[in-house]
Amino acid sequence: MAQRLELMKGSSESLLLCLISQQPMYGYRIIKELEKRSQGYFKFKEGTLYPALHRLEKAGLIRGKWQMLPSGRQRRYYYITDKGHRLLVVKRDQWQDFLIAMNLIIQPASA
Amino acid sequence: MITALSQYLDSIRDNLRLDLASEREVIDELQTHIEDEFQEMREAGLSEEEAANTCIKFLGSAKLVARQIYEAHSQGTWKQALMASMPHLLFALLFALNWWQGIGWLIITLGLVLSMAVYGWLHGRPVWLFPWRGYYLLPVLVAGLLLLYLPKGWSWLTILLYLPLALWLVWSVTVQTVKRDWLYSALMMLPVPIILGWFLAVGKEGKFLELSLEHIRYFAPWIGLSFLALAVTAAAFIRLRQRWLRVALLLLSGFLTLIMVAFYTGGRLGLSAFLVLTLIMLGLLLSPALVERRLRHGKQQPTS
Repeated sequence: MAQRLELMKGSSESLLLCLISQQPMYGYRIIKELEKRSQGYFKFKEGTLYPALHRLEKAGLIRGKWQMLPSGRQRRYYYITDKGHRLLVVKRDQWQDFLIAMNLIIQPASA
Repeated sequence: MITALSQYLDSIRDNLRLDLASEREVIDELQTHIEDEFQEMREAGLSEEEAANTCIKFLGSAKLVARQIYEAHSQGTWKQALMASMPHLLFALLFALNWWQGIGWLIITLGLVLSMAVYGWLHGRPVWLFPWRGYYLLPVLVAGLLLLYLPKGWSWLTILLYLPLALWLVWSVTVQTVKRDWLYSALMMLPVPIILGWFLAVGKEGKFLELSLEHIRYFAPWIGLSFLALAVTAAAFIRLRQRWLRVALLLLSGFLTLIMVAFYTGGRLGLSAFLVLTLIMLGLLLSPALVERRLRHGKQQPTS
C-alpha cells in the first residue's frame, strides 16, 4: 500500500488532469471515478485531493466553477484549461516512453 | 449538519488563514464533499454518528488538510512580491539617494505609503498590503517625536492623550491583521526594531531620541541598505509557501539586519542596546501568535 501511494504521488497531477480533460468533474466524483476506473487500485486520500486540485488551479492548469444543481445545491466543477491540455499531452508522452522502457526491462523475454 | 462535521469544518476554517473569499470557497467545497459522502454512507446503512466519523476519517486531520490547502494558496505572484517590497524600497531610495533631505520627497513618500495602505484595505486586503500597513504607524512615531519639543509643563498632553491614542492605534492595527494571520502582523512589525535601532544610532551623544542631521547624512547609505534588506525579505516572504519557512525568514532577516545596523554604526549601538532591540524584535515578531491564540480562545469559549 505504501509503495502504491509513493507511485501515485508522482502521477497524481497527470491522473487528475486526465480525468478532468475527459469531463468536467467535482471533487467527490473525481475520487469515485478514479477508484472505479482503476478497479480499486487508485484510492485518492480525500484530504489530499483538494490541496492537489487547488495547486493545479493556482498553476492555471484547471479552472473551478460553481454550478447550481436542479436540487438547488451547488458544486464546484473543475475544467481543464488550454495550459492544462498542453501539459497533459507532454505528460502522456512521458508516460508512454516510461512504460515502453519499463516493459523492455521488466517483462520476461519471449522464447 | 451533524455537530461533529460542523466542528471539523470549523477546525479547518480556523487553520486556513486565507482571505475571506478564498476561505468561503474552500469551506463550501469541502462541505458539499462531506454532504455527498455522508448521504452515501447513510444510504449504505450507517448510523448518523458512524457516517460522520467515517467522513472525518476519510478526509484526515483538519489541521493537515488546512495546512496543505494553505500551502496551495499561500505563494504570491512575483507581482505581489514586488508590491510587498515597494514601501521598503521607497524608503531605501529615500535614504540612498538623499531624498530624505527634501521635504517634497518626504511628503510624496509618506502620502504614497499611506494611500497605498488605504487602497489595499478597501480592496480586499491583498497579501502585498501588510508591509505597507506597517507604515501606518509612522505618523504616530512622527507625532511622538514632535511632542518631545513641547514646552516644559506640557508633558500631561503626552501622557493623557498621545500614549493612550498611540497604544490604541497600534493595538487595533495589530488585532485587525492578526485576525487574518499572525504572520502578516509579524511581517508588518519587522521594520520597527530596525527603525528604532537607527533612531538610537543617529541620536546626539547622550541625548536619547534627539536626532543629529549630520549623523543621518553620514549613515544614510546604510539606512538605505537596511530598508533594501527589508524589501528583499518582504518579497521572499510572499514567494514562500510553508509557514515555518516564513517564520524562520522573518527571525533571521530581523536579526541579521539588526547586526548590520550595529556593525555599520561602528559601536554607536552598544551591546546592551543591541540585546534590548533583539528582545523587542522577538517580542514584536512572535507576540502576534499569542494574540491570535487568545483571540481564538475567546471566540471558542461561548460555544464550549
